[in-house]
Amino acid sequence: MNSALTSTTRYRTIDLVTIAMLGVAFGVIFWGWGKLYDVIDLGAAVGFKPAAALLAGMWLIAGVVGGLVVRRPGAALATELIAALVSMIVLGGTSWGASVLLSGLVQGLGAELVFAVFLYRRYDLPTAMLSGALAAVFAAFYEWKYYFVDWDLTWRLAHLGFFTVSGLLIAGAGGWLLVRSLARAGALDSFPARRS
Amino acid sequence: MTGLLTRLNPLVLLAIGLTAALGSPAVRTLPIALAAVTTYVVFVVLTVPSWRYPALCLAVVLLPMASVAWSTWLLGGRDAEVAAVAGLRTFVLAWPGAVAAGYIDVARLGDYLAQSLRVPGRFAAALSAALQRVAGAWRTWHDLERSRRARALPRRPWSMAFALLVHTIRDATRTSIAMDARGFASAGRRTWAEPATWTRSDVSVLVTAVLLALLPTALHLISH
Repeated sequence: MNSALTSTTRYRTIDLVTIAMLGVAFGVIFWGWGKLYDVIDLGAAVGFKPAAALLAGMWLIAGVVGGLVVRRPGAALATELIAALVSMIVLGGTSWGASVLLSGLVQGLGAELVFAVFLYRRYDLPTAMLSGALAAVFAAFYEWKYYFVDWDLTWRLAHLGFFTVSGLLIAGAGGWLLVRSLARAGALDSFPARRS
Repeated sequence: MTGLLTRLNPLVLLAIGLTAALGSPAVRTLPIALAAVTTYVVFVVLTVPSWRYPALCLAVVLLPMASVAWSTWLLGGRDAEVAAVAGLRTFVLAWPGAVAAGYIDVARLGDYLAQSLRVPGRFAAALSAALQRVAGAWRTWHDLERSRRARALPRRPWSMAFALLVHTIRDATRTSIAMDARGFASAGRRTWAEPATWTRSDVSVLVTAVLLALLPTALHLISH
């Protein structure tokens, strides 16, 4: 393995600890967001449930941010998965039990895949938006199988569309802007993302 | 109510919820849904130390159950039975895992991930260190809230979350320097806080959890 490739794949301690601790912070944020989202979701169910997916991109942001900050293979997946794990075990957990781990795995895989396709060399806004969008597509298919299996296809496609837009904007563009703000605050001085 | 859940290792507790979730798509008819719900209720009642926590979890799980059931009725052909099955399927998906997660000893999770699942040592140790900071994350959130209130700054969740992330990344930088100073990155042989043991109860509950998760599929195959 040449040294350039090694430098992009070999994890430093700070990479590992940052992934884990970002996962914990996003897990706590997800926990709080989950309490609000449950109510929004129930309200949407009374009206037009697929539209609730417009806010679901928030669940995908951990993977995008983890990938943009750490820039190593597996960072996006691990950050999203740890965030899901933490949201499941803190203060009574979530209303979705251990299924959030499956969600985290699927969403993290979607986000990771885009970074992998670009060989972990592109971390610009379009890449972040694609990463959020693919995470949303994966998450929507997961939800079709586990939650909304009996919805008519039209509504499932509407759910997919809303989810993808949300992933593109909230997780993708929102995640990219968040990383840029973190860089400006000086929090990313130990990472290549400091140049964001 | 034997309190068995309080004596299980964290991987078994995770497996209870994961297997229930993975098995839930096979809940497609009302008889299978009722059978699955009944067996999980019996399993939980037999293994928890008290009814209070499962009842609290049920109250929380009722929200997604209602949301999925109602939307299935509205957007899936307005069939009451299909909607009821969707609600009960959500119960199977979420409730056993929500209950079991409440008994996970976070401090032991890293030991089991590294020793039983062979998760790479450096990552397991970093995860353990981070999980110990969950309480710290709450404390930071409250500190931010107090200091913003004292300075008469708006306490918007978004700006609070941003401040929490900045604090987290700086904390990660400090922690990783401290870990490397103690030889974390270059360690050839790693030791763990405690051995990850598997008792007979762990194994039998794991097998039971797998069988419970396979029950809806088995009933589905038998009925066809």
